[in-house]
Amino acid sequence: MAESTPAPDAAPGAAVVGEQAPAGVAISALHKAYGSNEVLKGISMTVEPGEVVCLVGASGSGKSTLLRCVNRLEEPNAGTITVADHVASDPDVDLDAMRREIGMVFQQFNLFPHLSVLENCTITPRRVLKQSQADADGEAMAQLRRVGLEELADRRPDQLSGGQQQRVAIARALTMRPRLMLFDEPTSALDPETVGDVLAIMRQLAEAGMTMIVVTHEMTFAREVADRVVFMDQGHVVEAGPAAQVIGNPQQPRTQDFLRRVLDPTHVDLDD
Amino acid sequence: MAMTTRERARLSLGIQAGLFVVAVAVLAVVMDWQAIATSFFDVERIGPMFPDILLVGLKNTLAYTAVGFLLGLLGGLVLALMKLSSFPVYRWLATGYIEFFRGIPAILVFLALGFGVSIAFGWNLDSLQIAGVSLGLVGAAYIAETLRAGLQAVPKGQIEAARALGMPAWRAMVSIQIPQAVRIVMPPLTNEAILLTKDSSLIFVVGLTAGAAELTKFGRDGINIYQAGLTPLVAAGVCYLLITVPLSILARRMERRTSTKK
Repeated sequence: MAESTPAPDAAPGAAVVGEQAPAGVAISALHKAYGSNEVLKGISMTVEPGEVVCLVGASGSGKSTLLRCVNRLEEPNAGTITVADHVASDPDVDLDAMRREIGMVFQQFNLFPHLSVLENCTITPRRVLKQSQADADGEAMAQLRRVGLEELADRRPDQLSGGQQQRVAIARALTMRPRLMLFDEPTSALDPETVGDVLAIMRQLAEAGMTMIVVTHEMTFAREVADRVVFMDQGHVVEAGPAAQVIGNPQQPRTQDFLRRVLDPTHVDLDD
Repeated sequence: MAMTTRERARLSLGIQAGLFVVAVAVLAVVMDWQAIATSFFDVERIGPMFPDILLVGLKNTLAYTAVGFLLGLLGGLVLALMKLSSFPVYRWLATGYIEFFRGIPAILVFLALGFGVSIAFGWNLDSLQIAGVSLGLVGAAYIAETLRAGLQAVPKGQIEAARALGMPAWRAMVSIQIPQAVRIVMPPLTNEAILLTKDSSLIFVVGLTAGAAELTKFGRDGINIYQAGLTPLVAAGVCYLLITVPLSILARRMERRTSTKK
């Protein structure tokens, strides 16, 4: 799907990531519970700078929670997370400074509906980084051009299609010059015909060297773009490794079972 | 033969219209229109009420309401933030305040400020202070609930997106949550303003000098001053409508705009 859609109007080899060096992530023995419901049961994994890691697994397996622990939208109960030189799991970490280096893209886009597309991209650089309006506008237009939407800069988010909104959300995150991008099921809420545009932009971003952690059900994307795929089930990492290996030749029965269901949804397992 | 639903509805409408015409006709014949006109609509005696009805009555009503609304907005915002606080003592205090002031008649608050404060503290409050603070205290309780609902109506993902970009909590509230909440709460806040406009008449219980009279007091005094029956009360009522009807049209407009926007 991704390869059939040309990248929307992006200069090849453009300075995608900016001058910021990509950041690595190290997660160790991470636990998270909501009351008595244990969602993450001791997750350990590392993401090298510039690496693209896809988190896959059934809903409820804990992948989104894991992703949201990385920028502390969720509070882990135990374990450590480091992002570049920030100890994300430290209660005293400067969360705002850390989050400025971590871009996040949500399933529901979460664009600010009271602001124009351009203002969505400039409000944080202006209000938090104290950039001048000219600087912020310039950077935002550059990022909107990268996602192919600069002509929609003056529109309101509700005038855009889902795919366009998600592309704006990516541009908005990039205006902060992040060193790591988190994607939480970025294409799950999209109409099928707009999924390709969003994946194409993510692929460009990956090729430009951005560190990316992507929670996704897009197995084609995972196989083609991810350096590594991590399969999660019931709060555990079941299997992790190069994309071709985990998706193409899974070793664990639970991974095999999941992939069979995802890749062949009409398959009925009579053993259940 | 059975009637269809539509025939029955038409017959029912016909009967209603007939009854209405009969009622109007009976009233027209039975009522003493002359007496009604002189006691309520003595047009010739309206002239002398100007300009005082506007420069004193309407002006004071607007002043009392405006001060009360501003204080109520301020207090209401503080109470709303307290209710949404993660610190339970704040929530309890806010809940207690809101239950108390929503649960008692506003007139008790006016009496307490008008008489109680001067007895207890020896302060002599003027009528603008009494009316403004009383309306503010009562209004804050209602406005707090409106604002809380408005702030909570902003989807959680909005704040998450702002925080994930690196905005501090206060900045996310100021730049993202409050602007969206304002659009949601404008129609109900306008309704609060209408209620406060009418409640400003309660200041009469503390006794007002002629210069401090708001519309209701002006109307009551006018009965003697202008010797025009109850016409001054009718005039005062019209003045209230001059404030409240545009406000309610405004509220409806904003409501329509926000509902088509989302």
